Amino acid sequence: MITMERVSLRYAKGDPWALEDVDLDVTRGEFCFVVGESGSGKSSLLRLVILEQRPTSGRVLVAGHDLGELAPRRVHLLRRQIGTVFQDFRLLSGKTVAQNVAYVLQVLGASRHEIKQRVPETLALVGLDGKGKRLPHELSGGEQQRVAIARAMVNKPPILLADEPTGNLDPDTSQDIVAILDRINRAGTTVVMATHDTTIVDRFRKRVVQLHDGVVVRDQAEGGYREVVAP
Amino acid sequence: MRPGFLLGEVGNGLRRNFSMFVSVVLVTMVSLFFLGVGLLAQAQVNTAKGEWYDRVQVSIFLCTPDSTDAPGCAGGAVTPEQRDQVESDLQGLEPLVTEYFYESNEEAYERFTEQFRNSSALDSVPQESIPASFRVNLSDPSRYEVIRAAFEQAPGVDSVEDQREVVDRLFAFLGALSWGALALAVAMVVCAVLLISTTIRLTAWTRRRETAIQRMVGASAFSIHLPFILETVAAALLGAALAVALLWATVRFGISGFLSELLAGESGLVSLVGERDLWLITPFLVGGAILLAVVTAWMALLRHVRV
Repeated sequence: MITMERVSLRYAKGDPWALEDVDLDVTRGEFCFVVGESGSGKSSLLRLVILEQRPTSGRVLVAGHDLGELAPRRVHLLRRQIGTVFQDFRLLSGKTVAQNVAYVLQVLGASRHEIKQRVPETLALVGLDGKGKRLPHELSGGEQQRVAIARAMVNKPPILLADEPTGNLDPDTSQDIVAILDRINRAGTTVVMATHDTTIVDRFRKRVVQLHDGVVVRDQAEGGYREVVAP
Repeated sequence: MRPGFLLGEVGNGLRRNFSMFVSVVLVTMVSLFFLGVGLLAQAQVNTAKGEWYDRVQVSIFLCTPDSTDAPGCAGGAVTPEQRDQVESDLQGLEPLVTEYFYESNEEAYERFTEQFRNSSALDSVPQESIPASFRVNLSDPSRYEVIRAAFEQAPGVDSVEDQREVVDRLFAFLGALSWGALALAVAMVVCAVLLISTTIRLTAWTRRRETAIQRMVGASAFSIHLPFILETVAAALLGAALAVALLWATVRFGISGFLSELLAGESGLVSLVGERDLWLITPFLVGGAILLAVVTAWMALLRHVRV
């Protein structure tokens, strides 16, 4: 689903490499943690997948698109196949929970009927049924992140990227959020989650890709965080 | 993006940046107004020139007791015999002279008092100093010199005046007005471009979260840009409508009303730009406003809104 071949990235000439010679293959339906300390290249890796950034060298393939050959005017077609969740939720404060989720479908031109059906369905998926009329500031951090997940998933993308989605949450809430991502993954969505939350990684025992200074230093099936060895 | 949602987005955008919206409307209105004035002044010069030249007359002013400089006035005020001689000479100049009429001293004074009824200087002008005159229409107005040569030195004739000179001065004034208005219009268009560009930047900033989400979920560049462009076009269209309304008021009340009355009193010239000329330039003003809005907004969006 996501393939990287000898991918290197640096933001400016003379800068250190943000990613160096990364080879990665995430298959359809896989759940993968990308771990590493701050500045190790986790976010850069996710930015390459959604084509926020083009690699300096190497090849990236996502959902059948060779990103090197994807014309700028077709980038949006790639992004429709990827849901994205961030640490800071990025909700629209003036819109209700349901409106935040519906916004995606409206932007993409879905019919009223489709919106009416899909929004409650997706809110139920993240455990927010009955809270559609609340405004974001009336919700807890965990609930806001659920809204963000619902928004990312309402268009049913085959890939979900989560960049430190538990970074602002307490441990219990974090577990709930990752449990939702796990449930989404079990329903067939490929999930890639960047995190440095030790407990979460240890608890869920998924594939772990560890980055250090932009280099993949470990790629382990059903790994834990403690097995991280400094290179 | 469905039309209902799109209009909702445009409405929200306008509400949030209402003051900027108003400023774009006003600056567009002023720039198009000046552009319209420039174009109408040009139209005035172009359409009226031939007609005015055909209608202008040569005036042969007869001597008054005050006119002493002219060689024909050595004997003081014009005598009835001298006047009859001028008239018969005019008849001898047919067919160059197609028509003429005599304006007596009383008629001239009456017209003068009517024209300057608001002026206090009127009281000090005695009736005798307003000259009687022959108003002469020529089959070929450019052959004015023939009339001048024939009558300039004639007894009882004070002066011969070609109204074309007056009209030429008016055309020169209109030409200057036209270029001045166009220059102002260009300056205002530059202001409009800069203002639209700044407005887009501010709007993009206030809506950065929405546009970021739109990008993230895969909205096309066109659909992200469209609400911004429609808002700018709405402002430009409103500005254009106001400019046309202002031009209409200027033409209706300023030119067709006040100025044509004034000129008709002066020289019988009434061929002025009218509402029809305004409707002819309106599509260009509106089209120009839309083009300006779309192009400027598009350029600003490319710079300020990442897609």
